[in-house]
Amino acid sequence: MNSKKFLFSLAIVLALVLSACAGATPTTQPQAPAQADTQAPAASQGEVTITVWDYYGEATPVKPLVEPFMKEYPNIKIKYEALDWDTTLEKLNVVMTGGTPPDVATVDMTWLPHFAALGAFSDLKPLSGGQLNGVAWQDAYTPGALSAITYNDQIVAALYDFDVYALYYRADLFEQKGLQPPKTWDELVTVAKQVAEGDKYLYEWDPDTFHGSQWIYENGGQLLSPDNTQVVFNSPEAVDAIQFYTDLLLKEKVAINWTTDQGERIQGLKDGRIAMFSDGPYNMGIMKSAAPEMAGQWKVALHPYSKQPGSYLGGTGLVIPSTSQQKEAAWKFIEYAMRMENQVGVFTYAGAAPALTAALESPEVNIEDPYFGGQKAFAVFLETMKTAKPFPYVRSWNDIDEAFTNAMQEVSLGQKSVKDALDEAAATSTDALNK
Amino acid sequence: MTSEQITIGKSGAPPGARPRWLKFIRKYYIAYLFIAVPLLSMIAFLYIPMIISFWWSLNDYSGLQAARFIGLGNYIELLTHDKVFTKSLVNTTLFVLMGMGIGPTLGLLTALLLNQKARFQTLFRTAYFLPVMTSLVVVATIWVMLYNQNGLFNTILVDLGLSRVGWLSDPRYSLFSVVIASVWQGFGFETVVFLAALQSIPKEFYEAAMIDGAGAMQRFWYITLPSLRPVIVFVYIIGIIGSYQVFDQVYVMTSGGPVYSTSTIVYYLFTKFRDLRLGYASAIAYILFAILVIFSYLQMRLSRER
Repeated sequence: MNSKKFLFSLAIVLALVLSACAGATPTTQPQAPAQADTQAPAASQGEVTITVWDYYGEATPVKPLVEPFMKEYPNIKIKYEALDWDTTLEKLNVVMTGGTPPDVATVDMTWLPHFAALGAFSDLKPLSGGQLNGVAWQDAYTPGALSAITYNDQIVAALYDFDVYALYYRADLFEQKGLQPPKTWDELVTVAKQVAEGDKYLYEWDPDTFHGSQWIYENGGQLLSPDNTQVVFNSPEAVDAIQFYTDLLLKEKVAINWTTDQGERIQGLKDGRIAMFSDGPYNMGIMKSAAPEMAGQWKVALHPYSKQPGSYLGGTGLVIPSTSQQKEAAWKFIEYAMRMENQVGVFTYAGAAPALTAALESPEVNIEDPYFGGQKAFAVFLETMKTAKPFPYVRSWNDIDEAFTNAMQEVSLGQKSVKDALDEAAATSTDALNK
Repeated sequence: MTSEQITIGKSGAPPGARPRWLKFIRKYYIAYLFIAVPLLSMIAFLYIPMIISFWWSLNDYSGLQAARFIGLGNYIELLTHDKVFTKSLVNTTLFVLMGMGIGPTLGLLTALLLNQKARFQTLFRTAYFLPVMTSLVVVATIWVMLYNQNGLFNTILVDLGLSRVGWLSDPRYSLFSVVIASVWQGFGFETVVFLAALQSIPKEFYEAAMIDGAGAMQRFWYITLPSLRPVIVFVYIIGIIGSYQVFDQVYVMTSGGPVYSTSTIVYYLFTKFRDLRLGYASAIAYILFAILVIFSYLQMRLSRER
């Protein structure tokens, strides 16, 4: 009898502990029954809920879509979650390895190589029936944009806003000194020398892959070989390109190394340390809201080049994680967000560039922008997009990006010659690529 | 239920036939039941994850694709091929050496000063302890502002006619800059611990020493320091274990850069976790664990002597 009581108490304690454990790992449980829902007919009957992760922040173009979407699709409920850029990246990594994923997420296109290579996102081709709001995928986007969302013949994201780098310059200073925006690298040096006044009015120098790759592309170089099997950012064209870029900083002294301890860029624009920089269309929105007093002082031009125009191509993609249980409903939301009238919202809410060619050319977006001296600024970015290309889709992209960035930093500090730094980074990247 | 339990305990079983351990359990089973709750939760949330993590460290595992067993592959790559890991290991050790060199010494000095019968003593004690209570992230963010190109330190340098220093952007200074910020945040803890220990040293020792003609240095050397010995060992154990796990400051202040000059073990582990190289990250965690086990063992031996 005693031992019976003992066993009984033990059983109670065990039951308590086990129930506590079970409560902490809810992810495995709900997935099983939900699987049944995705079998199409069942889904259309009942109400389904999809979770949407949005990293845009305050000026989001996604949140305003939630209410009208639910009106149009009364059987789909949206659980909207506002996150930020860093949190989204970290949370995506966590849920990929065991957790409840969102059904739709905004992702930075630079994350895509890493996630797509891991098979983390669903192929949108079968879900969409090959069409985006009645337009074939290849007609909706420019070829560069299409290649950015394609991985292994799958379409893994719908490009929502796009990012390519063009030259922002202080039009007022240029006018004062009777200068035209530079078209070639040599012109850039000449112009930068005339604009600079000591440590003011400089060209912003950034030790990162976004900027480094632009210079390499402009000189006819590449980061990886076309089949993504070889590292070529230490080819002669690439070394010359980075050498030219670095000379602006160390030899000509017309550039300012914008390390993180320089503070926010907008501060550098306001206090006149920066007179020229290369960045994407999203930056127009930032300038308008953070530096309204500078209206009329800036303009945008194609970034100068030596052989051909070039830029990385990125932006925001809308994706459906492959572990999502509500892919049909999730696709409906993406397609809704990609409608012309909603694409325009990318510009009107976030000041960024909508990715659909048609939306970019629409009169609502392609306006004469008073902030940029009445210029049709988006036309410059659309022009840049035609020759821009996404970062290579390889699983080890993060390692390659890190090695290249590191080489740029070493070069900017004068620690190594451009050739040595890039050769070493290429060796590291080759190791990563072959793993 | 409680009344019955008591009677069980009293009545017991007739001695003889049953083994002793069973008797023991019968006598104290309530105690074991109480222990069982935290023990089982430790097993579920600490030991089992630790074992799983060890298993991952022997695999090439991304969490998305099936794990591939590679034996000690991760460890071999870390220790023989991975230059960034070696750099992180060296950086962390330098961080510990500098931090543990400056921090406790500064703490002891401050404690000795605060132990005097000075005015506003409580005010000073509170002031020194305040940074410890402040979130490390907040402290790091403030120090980033101080270190900036246009921050306080550089403004002073420029006013003195010197040129700016890239406290966090020049790899020659960046690690040291992180150490200074960390020491500033942490030495208040050491101060308070030392102060408490100083105040528990009996005054009679000092009185006797003074009667025997011992000077201030002698009293410090032969009374204060030996009395503080266990506390010093404690401060170093806690300090070294804590410093080897440095992460927050690096994450906020430098992200491990420039050129890996401030990359530390845990920060590097974090970047590998972010890349979903879970097996590799687990191997880093186990190497760190091994380092800490060795240090803890050495220090336990050290504290047991005499």
